[in-house]
Amino acid sequence: MLKLIFSAVRHYFPADPVSAHCDGPCGVYDPASARVAAEAVLSMTKKILDLSPPAGGNSVAMAAYENTMSRYVAIKEEQAQKAKEELLILWTDYFKPTHLEQYPQMHDTFWKAAKLCSACKVEVNLQHANELMQAIESIHQMFWATKSRDVAWYTAS
Amino acid sequence: MWLGTQPVNLLMSLRKSQVGDWFLWLLRRRSRLRVVGRSMMPTLQPGEEVFIDHQIYRHTLPQVGEIVIAWHPHQPGLKVIKRVAVVNSDGCCVLLGDNHQESTDSRRWGAIAPNHILGRVVCRC
Repeated sequence: MLKLIFSAVRHYFPADPVSAHCDGPCGVYDPASARVAAEAVLSMTKKILDLSPPAGGNSVAMAAYENTMSRYVAIKEEQAQKAKEELLILWTDYFKPTHLEQYPQMHDTFWKAAKLCSACKVEVNLQHANELMQAIESIHQMFWATKSRDVAWYTAS
Repeated sequence: MWLGTQPVNLLMSLRKSQVGDWFLWLLRRRSRLRVVGRSMMPTLQPGEEVFIDHQIYRHTLPQVGEIVIAWHPHQPGLKVIKRVAVVNSDGCCVLLGDNHQESTDSRRWGAIAPNHILGRVVCRC
């Protein structure tokens, strides 16, 4: 009950900002970093699904299989977390209330994209990995529109 | 690594708010601020809110390890959140971000005068 009240207070009485300041990267934002991480998640998801265990009782082949699978899983989880962090930076640091007026769906888009990062981290789900890429494409369109720049969506892979 | 007399990992912890903190906020004895930027990670994530005690330094100096709010020395009107690393004999404080790789702080600005320090972070909201 109290948590709900506190949550409502936060919502209706937003706090003023205080800067955890960094002169270096401040003002330099690009959804490309989230996109690259999400592409790695998609790639690792495909590789995990395509990887088959060796037939027979060859222990050396099994060790190689398990090693490869472990690496794919580790990279998938790491990159999903990275994609989430990059999205949260864009959401909380770059986008401003004026952008929300322009794109009322902005919070929902970011929230769903962050949720997809979490889903991709814990699952091996090709659909969710593809949906994450689509969500980041939406964010890419919003981001560059706020800068009045026409930057076409592209992927590295 | 040690900072002052306490290990850094102990200093990193910041408690969650309790009902009393919200009550003090209603009485205007606390203010709420939302963290923007990454220089206090991993202690404080961008978007997190904290409660500030603005009266605490009226009679005492900041202590090493405390997280404080201060005026940016070169950007008027900009409040920054950093951790006290050193308190000099004249009361000036060396302020550092917990995320040293992504923080602009006393390593660039030098020590911050006590009258530029606005309050102490009490807890997360």
